Amino acid sequence: MGTSVQLTPLCGVYSENPLCYLLSIDGFNFLMDCGWNDLCDTNLLQPLSKVSSTVDAVLLSHPDMLHIGALPYAIKHLGLSAPVYATEPVYRLGLLTMYDYYLSRRQVSDFDLYTLDDIDSAFQNVTRLTYSQNYHLSDKGEGIVIAPHVAGHLLGGTVWKITKDGEDVVYAVDFNHRKERHLNGTVLESFVRPAVLITDAYNALNNQLYKRQRDQEFLEAILKVLRANGNVLLPVDTAGRALELLLILEQYWSQQHLTFPIFFLTNVATSTIDYVKSFLEWMSDSIAKSFEHTRDNAFLLKHINLIINKSELENIADVPKVVLASMPSLEVGFSHDIFVDWATEARHAILFTERGQFGTLARMLQVDPPPKAVKVTMSKRIPLAGDELKAYEEEQERIKKEAALKASLSKELRASQGSDANAGDAMVIDASSSHISADVAASRIGGFRDIFMDGFAPPATSVAPMFPFFENSAEWDDYGEVINPDDYIIKEEDMNGASAQGFGGDLDGKLDEGSAHLLLDTTPSKVVSNELTVQVKCSLIYMDFEGRSEGRSIKSILAHVAPLKLVLVHGSAEATEHLKEHCSKHVCPHVYAPQIEETIDVTSDLCAYKVQLSERLMSNVLFKKLGDYEISWIDAEVGKTNDMLTLFPVSSTPPTHKSVLVGDLKLADFKQFLASKGIQVEFAGGALRCGEYVTLRKISDFTQKGGTVAQHVIIEGPLTEEYYQIRELLYSQFYLF
Amino acid sequence: MASSMTAQVSASKRKDSALTREGDQLIITPLGAGNEVGRSCVYMSYRGKTVLFDCGIHPAYSGMAALPYFDEIDPSTIDVLLVTHFHLDHAASLPYFLEKTTFKGRVFMTHATKAIYRLLLSDYVKVSKVSVEDMLFDEQDILRSMDKIEVIDFHQTVEVNGIRFWCYTAGHVLGAAMFMVDIAGVRVLYTGDYSREEDRHLRAAETPQFSPDICIIESTYGVQLHQPRVIREKRFTDVIHSTISQGGRVLIPAFALGRAQELLLILDEYWSNHPELHNIPIYYASPLAKRCMAVYQTYINAMNERIRNQFANSNPFDFKHISPLKSIENFDDVGPSVVMASPSGLQSGLSRQLFDRWCTDKKNACVIPGYVVEGTLAKTIINEPKEVTLINGLTAPLNMQVYYISFSAHADFAQTSTFLKELMPPNIVLVHGEANEMARLKQKLITLFADQNTKIISPKNCQSVEMYFSSEKMAKTIGRLAERMPEVGDTISGLLVKKGFTYQIMASEDLHIFSQLSTANITQRISVPYNGAFGVIKHRLNQIYESVVSPQEETDVPTLIVHERVTIRHESESFVSMQWSSDPISDMVSDSVVALILNINREGPKVMPVVENKTEEENERMAQKVTFALLVSLFGDVKVGEEGKLIVTVDSDVARLNVKNGEVECENEALKDRVKTAFRRIQSAVRPIPLSTS
Repeated sequence: MGTSVQLTPLCGVYSENPLCYLLSIDGFNFLMDCGWNDLCDTNLLQPLSKVSSTVDAVLLSHPDMLHIGALPYAIKHLGLSAPVYATEPVYRLGLLTMYDYYLSRRQVSDFDLYTLDDIDSAFQNVTRLTYSQNYHLSDKGEGIVIAPHVAGHLLGGTVWKITKDGEDVVYAVDFNHRKERHLNGTVLESFVRPAVLITDAYNALNNQLYKRQRDQEFLEAILKVLRANGNVLLPVDTAGRALELLLILEQYWSQQHLTFPIFFLTNVATSTIDYVKSFLEWMSDSIAKSFEHTRDNAFLLKHINLIINKSELENIADVPKVVLASMPSLEVGFSHDIFVDWATEARHAILFTERGQFGTLARMLQVDPPPKAVKVTMSKRIPLAGDELKAYEEEQERIKKEAALKASLSKELRASQGSDANAGDAMVIDASSSHISADVAASRIGGFRDIFMDGFAPPATSVAPMFPFFENSAEWDDYGEVINPDDYIIKEEDMNGASAQGFGGDLDGKLDEGSAHLLLDTTPSKVVSNELTVQVKCSLIYMDFEGRSEGRSIKSILAHVAPLKLVLVHGSAEATEHLKEHCSKHVCPHVYAPQIEETIDVTSDLCAYKVQLSERLMSNVLFKKLGDYEISWIDAEVGKTNDMLTLFPVSSTPPTHKSVLVGDLKLADFKQFLASKGIQVEFAGGALRCGEYVTLRKISDFTQKGGTVAQHVIIEGPLTEEYYQIRELLYSQFYLF
Repeated sequence: MASSMTAQVSASKRKDSALTREGDQLIITPLGAGNEVGRSCVYMSYRGKTVLFDCGIHPAYSGMAALPYFDEIDPSTIDVLLVTHFHLDHAASLPYFLEKTTFKGRVFMTHATKAIYRLLLSDYVKVSKVSVEDMLFDEQDILRSMDKIEVIDFHQTVEVNGIRFWCYTAGHVLGAAMFMVDIAGVRVLYTGDYSREEDRHLRAAETPQFSPDICIIESTYGVQLHQPRVIREKRFTDVIHSTISQGGRVLIPAFALGRAQELLLILDEYWSNHPELHNIPIYYASPLAKRCMAVYQTYINAMNERIRNQFANSNPFDFKHISPLKSIENFDDVGPSVVMASPSGLQSGLSRQLFDRWCTDKKNACVIPGYVVEGTLAKTIINEPKEVTLINGLTAPLNMQVYYISFSAHADFAQTSTFLKELMPPNIVLVHGEANEMARLKQKLITLFADQNTKIISPKNCQSVEMYFSSEKMAKTIGRLAERMPEVGDTISGLLVKKGFTYQIMASEDLHIFSQLSTANITQRISVPYNGAFGVIKHRLNQIYESVVSPQEETDVPTLIVHERVTIRHESESFVSMQWSSDPISDMVSDSVVALILNINREGPKVMPVVENKTEEENERMAQKVTFALLVSLFGDVKVGEEGKLIVTVDSDVARLNVKNGEVECENEALKDRVKTAFRRIQSAVRPIPLSTS
């Protein structure tokens, strides 16, 4: 009867591993998030690889590694080909996050799981939606509506609501109910009684300080270090929580007129902020308001230097400063290098604003007590020199030759299959296969694949060196040469002239020059690593700026949302168990916490059918208004018009029904109400003593929130006028049907 | 109960009220922009929900005369006000409407519109040269209105009081939107000003995913066709180029925001490509536009891909060859120059000052780049009169060249017809067009949609268009009630819960599951002083109630249960306690029990003779008498007819009621139903209460 709903976790249950879940609604498979950890552990993607080809749509909820990290890899290597849906900021900032991650990795290793091109092509098929946009899926997903809603936590962060036949499945992970400087709180609480709610238990055991107190401590901690002539390193993500931290610092610095320099150091820092500036409509009301009134963009950062390489930091080595650098794990990226530089001096401080992923350097440093020394691998990409360079060049030459040989072979093969032999083709080499950096370079510059060599160095294998010659292999049909009309269309864009030049594609536009330089640098290079032990003498501070709702709020939000079925994912085993136990007592009886690859069926056992309400019936209905609702009791007879079940008024006298009292009695409110009517009331032992003799009690109220039973009120007293008076007042709190 | 009856009686006076209920009528009334251009404001109401689209002023009038006809409506009844874009003729009466009327609904516009609206209106207040008492609103009103305006993003769905709406990109200017409103399944699309042509910085208007039932569409350009954009741009730059190379000056009267940005992009690019022009200054006389630049730089996501790509490189709105001009005093008028100045209609302000200064020289040129409103000087000079009246009242010969090259991003006939063909709305309402132009468009559309059953209407201001939509109310039966599919003839009883326009039928036990409402049980316990024997109570109860039993299980004190509703316990020598669960019948039973116990107390032990029950017949006669009396009080003229039938006459309709089985014969269906219902309710009142049902 109801819509069939199944959930299969692929990664990230009973642990803090990245998130990736398969949600199947009436046979339509959604992949909810596609995350990867900082270590890029391919084992984690094992379950995904088995099902990736059956996925019909991918929904992304946050622009960080844990939610989108594996997308390029999955599309490139695991056969994931479904359309992807995300909000504009998740798309844009996610792309920048992936760039930053790739570049950081690439600098210290021969990272080859995916390339920048794979990232680009993975993000090319993202359909971008706005908050509360009801997007109707077509074809296989006919009848399913998906809608992103505000989640808080990160810019563009999404709670997904998937609706089919009036039943809602809500996927809400990493939400934040609190309003922050740059983000609004989640709207999750406005979804009441969804059929299924999928949420995380990540923070179920955490409780935070009050925001103001926390901000104050955060700033004091930083200033203390700075004033003691030390530097502060904040390992941050590329474009997520970093934004909130930047705003906190920016505001405080301008209030206090501080002069300590602040640096925001990622491979994509300047473009991140450029894009963030144009995302005002996704941010908090106060940011939008201040822009409307004063046209001051909050992300026009006056005190923060956006830098994309470390050299600028080294220029002012002895000035105390704050540096926000990616990655948060300290495994790779600028934060890693800076950590190694600074950790040995006691005056510096590393301030963690989020819990490190399991198994990363950040996590190791966050344990209590912190380790005295840690082993780290310092890797560096250096240009080849001397013998190595020579060897490399020879190797390249060899590869080139082989490629040429292959090319000519394949051409010959083709030639033998029919068309004319084409000797010149031997000189066309495929640049993309020569070496990886060149590959990146070529595709970065534009879309072209084949590069002409000048003809001066004919490959030895070519039989008859000659200038490239292309046979005009035009096809002819009855009307003459077959032409492609597209070739003759004058592109309207042309008249836009100079301004449109130089943009290979939308994605290419925004890469910072520095990183572009790094990428385009085709000088042969290699990675040298050496392990060293770093004495950790600097102070290590951990403060929670993750921007997620904490345990207590999660529980009260869940109780308020009161889903019919609840699925818990993502969170340590203890946290998951704890929340599961809590929710099955106080939220709803159906709480699930499946294991990896365990498919659970959360199809609602709800029965429903549609009927038409006839005009004759409705004209006799008198609604009573209760808040948003209007209610009436009906007795109707089922009939049929045009194959539709229709309700008509009953022809005979309807049987009397058990009367129903509707309303929500709050003893505290009722007490005030009675007091206002001039009746003495007081609380005594959980009951309300009204007047001299009458007592009013409410039982089984606690489970009522979860909607398991109706409320039960007991009124007791001797036969007095007062009794009837109070009863009358009590009745006035309810509607009778 | 009584009130419901009277409501029905009064309803019966309205003939055929059951067929066309008021709720199903949809009314569209243009309060402005009906057969005119300017003061856009369209009122719409359906099933008790009211939406107002746009809230503009007429640029050719000033003061109250420029407002839409707000006195035609009651502003306090409007639920939602939707503003499509920031142009004065669509948004400028908003501060007045929000601050000076009884309006208390909610207002929505897009982010970019809101940001520019504030700047634009402040500017409007400053430049409009009307006396203080004629001012519709001041700066403070604008600031206050800002707090009331809510923002909506493109495609975002918002629901207010059961009205669902969302918006699509409309082209035209930055932030311009088309609104789709859905009230109880009836969809209305209001296009505002829209353009289907992508230009240098804006996207073309989208085609909505769903076809609306009604499309309220602008008809500014009527049946005209635009030249292709390339040709227009070439004409524009050629005119300017040739004028300045002959030593003339070019005046471009343009509205400060919107299309001006597009023209500046064209000019800046043209200058970049023609180094020989670099010594010719281009002035842009609008401090307002400068202030709005931040908005243009921020909301690039509302623009097209092209501009976003450029933005990646450098800010395309940071013009290299265009300098700002503060006022005419700062203008060093030597040699050729290009000046873009507002207002676009040459009514007053800088553009008029320059026009007055330059109009006599035939070397100069005036390029009118957009739609001009009837009644403005710009409209007059398009027809190239010999003489014009200057702002000081003198007349002067008009020697300067006047060119009309339209860049205003309104749809032309080709765009309008393709748009409508894609949407295929069954009803089209034309607004925002000059009367003749609109009439021509209407004719042409009628021929175009001749084979479809499309209604095309072009109402005048304050002229209401009424349409009827049959609204099938669908309800979803859920939970326990729906465990079994019902057969025809089955009876369904449950709570009908209405939220917005959705109906659900459910069992009362399920109420708290499917809604935020909860049900309650109230248990009452009352102690009544009684010092007689318990047996006496039992005896008396037996005389009144059929079912007075002792509980099955053992109890510590003597206990009686009356009709499984009220439990009476003999707690001690001095009192008995009673317990029951609240509902009207149980309350009544308990009251009677209390009265009975108190009576025993007062009277003391006494043997009561058992009174013989009245005969069936007597009871029946009694009931008939009551029924008759009640019917008379309800319907007035009731007579007893043959075979014990009652004849009810209301006005000229006659209903024959068979009191035996409740059958009614009547030609008027409405009356028949009413008599039937009344009789059923009377019957249930005069008969004994069926206590056994639970």
